[in-house]
Amino acid sequence: MAHTSSAHGSNYLNHSHGIKSWLTTLDHKRIGLMYFVVIMMMFLLGGIFALLVRWELFAPGLQFFSSPDKYNQAFTYHGAIMVFMVVIPLIPAAIGNCVLPMQLGAKDVAFPRWNLISYYVYILGATIAAATLFINQVDTGWTFYAPYSIRTGTSTTLVLLGAFIMGFSSILTGLNFIVTVHKLRAPGLTWDRLPLFIWAVYATSIIQVLATPVLAITLLLLVLERTIGIGIFDPKLGGDPVLFQHFFWFYSHPAVYIMVLPAMGVISDVIPAFSRKPIFGYKAIAAATFGIALVAFVVWGHHMFVSGQSEFANFVFSFLTMLVAVPTGVKVFSWIATMYKGSLRLDTPMLYAFGFLFVFTIGGLTGVFLAVVSTDVHLTATYFVVAHFHYVMVGGTLLAFLAGLHYWFPKFSGKMYNEGPARLASWLIMIGFNVTFFPQFILGALGMPRRYADYLPQFTSLNQVSTVGSWFLGVGFLIVLVNIILAIRNGKPAGDNPWGALTLEWQAPSPPPHENFFHEPVVTEGPYEYRGEKALMGGNA
Amino acid sequence: MSDQHQNHQHHILSNSMAFRIFGALIVLTVVTVGVAQIDLGALNFTVAMLVASVKASLVCMFFMGLKYDHKENTVIFSTSVIFMAIFMILTFGDLLTRGDVYVKDLSKIIPDGAVAASNQSKYEKPWVSNDELVSAGKTLYTSACVTCHGAEGQGNGPAAAGLNPKPRNFTAGEGWKNGRKPSQIFVTLTKGLNAMPAFGTLSGDDRWALVHYVRTLGPHAGEVDGAEDLAKAGVGAGGAGAAEKSIPVGVAIDLLSEPAGKPSEN
Amino acid sequence: MAHSTGSVTHLERHHAHHFKTAHEEFEACKQGMWIFLVTEVLFFAGMFMAYAVLRVLYPDMMKAAHQLLDWKKGALNTVILITSSLTMALAVSAAQRGEKQKIIRYLWMTLICAGGFMVVKYFEYAHKIHEHILPGALYQYKELTMAKVPLFLSVYFVMTGIHGLHVLIGMGVIYWLIRRASRNEFGPSYFTPVEITGLYWHFVDLVWIYLFPLLYLVS
Repeated sequence: MAHTSSAHGSNYLNHSHGIKSWLTTLDHKRIGLMYFVVIMMMFLLGGIFALLVRWELFAPGLQFFSSPDKYNQAFTYHGAIMVFMVVIPLIPAAIGNCVLPMQLGAKDVAFPRWNLISYYVYILGATIAAATLFINQVDTGWTFYAPYSIRTGTSTTLVLLGAFIMGFSSILTGLNFIVTVHKLRAPGLTWDRLPLFIWAVYATSIIQVLATPVLAITLLLLVLERTIGIGIFDPKLGGDPVLFQHFFWFYSHPAVYIMVLPAMGVISDVIPAFSRKPIFGYKAIAAATFGIALVAFVVWGHHMFVSGQSEFANFVFSFLTMLVAVPTGVKVFSWIATMYKGSLRLDTPMLYAFGFLFVFTIGGLTGVFLAVVSTDVHLTATYFVVAHFHYVMVGGTLLAFLAGLHYWFPKFSGKMYNEGPARLASWLIMIGFNVTFFPQFILGALGMPRRYADYLPQFTSLNQVSTVGSWFLGVGFLIVLVNIILAIRNGKPAGDNPWGALTLEWQAPSPPPHENFFHEPVVTEGPYEYRGEKALMGGNA
Repeated sequence: MSDQHQNHQHHILSNSMAFRIFGALIVLTVVTVGVAQIDLGALNFTVAMLVASVKASLVCMFFMGLKYDHKENTVIFSTSVIFMAIFMILTFGDLLTRGDVYVKDLSKIIPDGAVAASNQSKYEKPWVSNDELVSAGKTLYTSACVTCHGAEGQGNGPAAAGLNPKPRNFTAGEGWKNGRKPSQIFVTLTKGLNAMPAFGTLSGDDRWALVHYVRTLGPHAGEVDGAEDLAKAGVGAGGAGAAEKSIPVGVAIDLLSEPAGKPSEN
Repeated sequence: MAHSTGSVTHLERHHAHHFKTAHEEFEACKQGMWIFLVTEVLFFAGMFMAYAVLRVLYPDMMKAAHQLLDWKKGALNTVILITSSLTMALAVSAAQRGEKQKIIRYLWMTLICAGGFMVVKYFEYAHKIHEHILPGALYQYKELTMAKVPLFLSVYFVMTGIHGLHVLIGMGVIYWLIRRASRNEFGPSYFTPVEITGLYWHFVDLVWIYLFPLLYLVS
C-alpha cells in the first residue's frame, strides 16, 4: 500500500476548468466541496444568530433586540438553519460525498447525476427558507409546533416548503449512498472490511431514507393546515396538536442520529489512525451503529413527556430511551480501549477526537436525566435541555466534523495546513464550548426557561459567563476558517498519506485524480490493521 | 454481494402468468366489495385488509418481480412496512391510553368541566365519611392546602396574607358560599373558587378524602347528602365521584381551541 | 443479446463509467427505485396514520362519513388501475423481449387507463366541490353535520390528491417512455427505464389497493 508519491499532473481539481465545469460537475468530490462551501456559509449565518442570541442574554431585559418577538425570530432562525441546513447535511453530504466512494474504492457514487440534483435541491430549499429573512421572519422555533405554527402570521409556509424541499436532498443523498455501498465496493472489500466511517454513513443513510419522508408529509400537512385548514392538527377544527408532535418527532428524533452517527464514524476512523493500533471491537462498533439507528426510531416520545402524552406512553418511551445508552456505551468503551497502550499522536484531528469523547460523554449522560420522566418534568423547556442538545450536536457533531475536516483536508486539497493555529483553534473551541454551555446546565437545573428574551436577575452571572464563552467559540471557528483558507492558498504539499492511515482513500494521490484511482484497488485486509509502527509514510514530518 | 454471481439472465414474466395474476386481482376486488356489503362487525376491517394485503403481495411478487429478484430488494421494501408499523404502534400507544375522554365526543363533556370517565372508587360510597378517608385527607391536606388554609384550617396559612377574599376558615360554621354538604364541598374542590384553583385532576377518592377531613375541622356539620345533592355533583348511583382520569389532555386541547383572548373560567 | 436491433451500441452508450458492467448498472438503478419506493411508503405512512387515528377513535363518524363517497366510482377506478398494472407488466416483458411495437402499444394502453382513472377522479372531485363536501374548514355540507366529518374529508382529499399527483407524474414518465421506445432505444440489453417506471407504476396501484377499501368501504 506504500504508493508512489504525488508525482502526477491531472487531479480532480484541475481536471477541467471554469466555474461552469464546477456547477455542472458529476464528480462526487467536487460536489462534496460545493456542499462544504454552502454549508459553511449557512453555518456562518446560523452562528451570527447564535452570537446575537447570546448577546441578548448578557443581561436581564432587552439588550440587542427591539422586542421579544425579534428575539423569538432570531432563535428560530438559529435553530432552523443549524439543524436543517448545517448539522444534518454537514458530515454526510460534505465529508461523506468526498470520502465514501473513495473508501469503497469506487470511481463515483452510484447515481452521480442525482447527486448533483440533490445539491441543487438543497440550495433551492435553503434559499426559499432563508429568503423569509427578508420578507417577514418566522417565530415558531425550529419545531413548528401546532397550533401556534398554524396561526402565526409570519411566513412560516415558506420555511416549511424550504424544509420540505431540503428533505428531498437528504433522501436522495441517502438513497445514493445505500446503493453505492451495496453495489460499488472494490474487489475484496467485504462487509467485514468496510471502514467504520462507511458503516456509520450507511446507517445514517438508512435513517434518512426511512425518516425524512415522514417529515415531508408532516410539513406538507402543516402547509395545508395553514392554507386551507384541513384540521388534522388544529384543535379548533377537531384535530389533535399532540399528534403533530408525534409526526414531527418521528423524523426529528432519528434526525439527531443522522447528525451524530456520521460523527461517530469519523471518530472511529481517526482514533485508530492516531493510536497506531487496530480498532478495538470492530464488529461491536458496527453493530452498535445499527443498534443506535434502530433504537432511534422508537424513542421519539421522550420529547413529549409534558405534552399531554399518556402516562403509559411516557413509561414506554422512557424505558426505550434508556436503551440508547447501551450501544453508545459500547462505542465509547471501544474507542478508549483502542487508545489504550497505543502510540498516540496528538495532531489536530486527534485533539478534536479527544474533545468529542469528553463533550459527547457529558452530552450523553445528561441525556439520561431527560429520559427519566420524573426529572424531565422538572427540566423540560429549561436551559438544561438547551445545554444537553448543544453538547450532543455541537460537541458531538461539530467537533467530529472538525476532526474529519483536519483529517481529510490534506487528501482533498493536496496541501497541509499550519498545525500551530489549528491546535490553538481546537483548544479555543473546546474551552469556549464548555464555558458557553456548561453554565446552561446549572441555569436549567435552577429553572431558567428557554426561549425567552428576558430572565430573572439571579441568573445574570452565569449567563454572562455563557455569553463570554460564545465569543471564544466564535474566534476559534474563525481561526479554523482562516487557517484552512491560507492552507489552500499556500500550504505545503501534504503527500499522499500524511497520517499513514490504511483506508483506501489514502492509497490514491493527493488530490485524487478525476476517477479517484489510477488502478482499481484490491482489498486484502481490514481497514485498521495498524501494527504499532510509528513510522509514517508519505512525507510531512 | 452473495447474489452477485447469480445468473445475469433477467426473468421475463410470461403473458399467461400476467393475465392469471390480473384475474386474481379482479376476483379479489370483487370479494372486497362483496364482503363490505355483509356486516361482520370488526371482522369486516380484518377481511378487507387481509384481501388488500394478498393483492399487494401478488403485485409485489409477480408484477414487480420480487419473487425472481435479489433477496436484497425484498428486504429493503419490507423495511418500509416495519417502520410504518413502528410509527403507528407507538403513536397509538399514546392515543389509546389517554383515557375515555379522548375517545368520546369531547364537546359533550367539557362545557361542564365536570365528571368525565368513570373511575372505579375504592369505596362503595366515598361520599360517606370513614376513618380511612379522613386520615388520607389529612395527608393530602398538609401537602396541598396548608399554605393557604393554615394548619388548623383557620384560613390563615402563610400565603393567605396576599389573598382577597381570604381563604375559607374551615373552623367557622357559616358563610360557606357553596354550602357545607360533602357533595357541595366536592364541587367546590373540583371546580375551584375565587383564587383557589380547581383540583379536578385529583382522583375522586382523593377529593372525597379531602372533603371529609375538612369537615372534621369545623363544628359538627349535620347536613348530609340526599340523592338529589349527589346527582347535582355528578355523583350518580352508578358513577362514584369519578375522577377526570385523562381530562388534562382534553381540557388542554379544548382550551387550545378557544378563541384567543377569551378569559378562562378561573 | 444477438437479435436485438443495435443492442451493442446501446450497451456501450448506457453503461456509465463507474459501473463495471451494464448489468451492474441495471441492478443499481433497480435497487435505487426500490429504496425510493420505501420513502414513498413512509410518505404515505403519515397519511395512513392520520386515517387510522380517525378510524380507531371515531368509528361511528367514519361509518357515516364514508357514505359521502361513491364506492362504485372507487371500484371502477380499482379495476382501471389493476388493468393498467397488467399492461405495464406486459410492456416490461415486451421490452425484455425487444418487441418494439408491443412496448409502445402496451405503454399507450397504460397511459389511457391512467387517463381514465383521472377522469373518474375528476367527476368525483367535481361532485364534491359542487356539494361543498370539502376538507376541514371548507366543509359546508348541510346533510351531514356530525363532528369530525370534515377531518375524514381532509384525509380523503389529501390521500387521493397526493395519489392522483403520483398518477399524473407517472403519466408524464410513461409518455416519455413511449417517445423513447419509438426511437428504438429499448431492447433486451437495455430496458432499465421501462423496468423502474414499471416498479413505480405498480406501487401507485399498490397504494390504491389499500386506499379503496379504507376510504370507500368502511363498515
